[in-house]
Amino acid sequence: MSWLRISLTAFAISAALPVHAETVTITTAGGDYGNAMKEAMWGPAAKELGYDVHEETLSDGLAALKMQVTSGAITTDVIHLGSPEGAQAAAQSLLEPLDYKIIDPNSVPAAAKSDYCYPFDSYGTVLSWNTKTYGENPPKTWAEFWDVAKFPGRRALRANAQDSIEIALLSDGVAPADVYSVLSTPEGLERAIKRLEAIKPNVAVWWTSGAQSAQLLKDGEADLVITWNGRAETVKKDGGAADYTFKGSVIGTDCLAVPKGAPNKEAAMKLIAAMTQPARVAKLTDFIAYGPVNPAGYEGGLIPEDRLKTLATAPENAGTSVFSNADWWVKNGEAAQKAFDEMMAR
Amino acid sequence: MTVIADPFLAADARRERRFFLSLSLPALFIVGLAAILPIVWIIRQSFLTTGGEYTVGNYEKVLSSGLTWSALVTTLQLSLGTLAICILLGTPLALALASARPRVANLLMAFVMLPLWTSILVRTYGWLVLLRRDGLINAALTGSGLTAEPLPLVYNFTGTLIGMVHYMLPLFLLPVYAAMRDIDANLVRASASMGATLGQTIRTVILPLSAGGIFSGSIIVFIYTIGFFITPAVLGGGKVNPLSTRIERTLSTFQDWGSASVLGILLLILMALVGVMFLAARRLIAGRKVGTGHA
Repeated sequence: MSWLRISLTAFAISAALPVHAETVTITTAGGDYGNAMKEAMWGPAAKELGYDVHEETLSDGLAALKMQVTSGAITTDVIHLGSPEGAQAAAQSLLEPLDYKIIDPNSVPAAAKSDYCYPFDSYGTVLSWNTKTYGENPPKTWAEFWDVAKFPGRRALRANAQDSIEIALLSDGVAPADVYSVLSTPEGLERAIKRLEAIKPNVAVWWTSGAQSAQLLKDGEADLVITWNGRAETVKKDGGAADYTFKGSVIGTDCLAVPKGAPNKEAAMKLIAAMTQPARVAKLTDFIAYGPVNPAGYEGGLIPEDRLKTLATAPENAGTSVFSNADWWVKNGEAAQKAFDEMMAR
Repeated sequence: MTVIADPFLAADARRERRFFLSLSLPALFIVGLAAILPIVWIIRQSFLTTGGEYTVGNYEKVLSSGLTWSALVTTLQLSLGTLAICILLGTPLALALASARPRVANLLMAFVMLPLWTSILVRTYGWLVLLRRDGLINAALTGSGLTAEPLPLVYNFTGTLIGMVHYMLPLFLLPVYAAMRDIDANLVRASASMGATLGQTIRTVILPLSAGGIFSGSIIVFIYTIGFFITPAVLGGGKVNPLSTRIERTLSTFQDWGSASVLGILLLILMALVGVMFLAARRLIAGRKVGTGHA
């Protein structure tokens, strides 16, 4: 019977072989966004590299990252973060430096470049409104959003200082280029907080998740919602009575990073490089309206002309925008959030 | 304590006690693992900086922040508000259940218990559908012309309170109902035969005899509601921020485990304080009852 044993062993070995393919774990935000990243980015990249990629989904990447790294039980190799969170994580030394020998260092504009978290897509925090309430004459600037006499209606804002304080200053007449220099002074921050306090009686809901903001807009629970362009676009596409403008949007980027002590560091770097190729980040816009950070993604007709209008970083939309400054948030985030929370509690 | 003279019987009793005690070991083990260890860990964490050094800075930071105290006030407002409504709604309901015929009482009880079989998340979002601006209740109100404008029923304190009362009412009802059902019907008849009105009977016979149940129900409501998170987070619209949402903010926005641990300990102390207060009040009332009995 020994031949049987041998052939069984051989069978077992051959069955075990595919396991030797590199196994990489990626952590995303899940939902529509997570699916879009899988379809457009890491799915095809994994196939090309021959990797076996596992996906974990989490809505709060930074808290999870911190828990994994400080407890030493690191299960993820690549993690998807917002750039401010990425900068925060880097400052707390939770991330491996990016290997720019594997990842092309010239694939992102110098202003967006990070040593720790590779920015791959961008979104705008925009002004959206209910088209049933305002018809042909909606508020289209932040100053008008604050004008409750001319544009009565229920507002919904994010229950977070991020983007809200930038927008508050824009509504108060601060030029996009000056927002962070004004915010860096104590009086500037106070000015932003005061401005938010002024609109507070007209805020029906302070939302805490992007999905919630879309729901508020779709249901007409709020007439004016500050939300992310991808969410507003989805509501509009699904036939909701909603529209939005990129005028004065705050542009943020999302990025990919490797946790400190990740099990498959080198494979993780290779996966980041492969999944962010221009064609793949351009393809992401097939699923969700978050445009590439890599300028090459906008070239060669990778993104159809009519879709460019729906992307925050498309050349025609970026003019009046403010680029969210991740470094400012790392330095001042806690103080700003505290001031914001105190305003909410008053 | 009974004294057993026979040494064999005494040894037997000891063995029996040890055996019964050993039966509780798995439960003790689980409680130790699931409750005590994490609390010890939280206490340790509350004295650590983000770098892992010992400090009392977390306590200074949390206790000196106005946000902590406003969150504490919101927590107490929610808990006391829920408790007051539960007592006002639950006590008459328990009385009705206890005095109904057994068949009717069982049927009503099934309706009361029904919400307990549904997940709190589902129930909370269910309220959102009912209470929101174009929800069922507002549609009915404006549709029938009772109100011109939809009422602000949700994304505020009112909505949060509605959700919390809905969750807590069955849990309050159970001990009150049990206490009222155990009241000897002869006492009620006796009080009626002595010429007491229904109101007097309720005030002087039924309520004092069911005080123990009302107290147990109140403790359950208070201890549960102090830590409520989902309901204020979903129905509060960002405007109702008790200690639990403060803990979440401290963790998710600031990754400040030290301060979050201090807030957790604050909640724990609050629960212990409330528990002790309730027990003391119960003893006081029980003592007074004995006193009046003698007079």
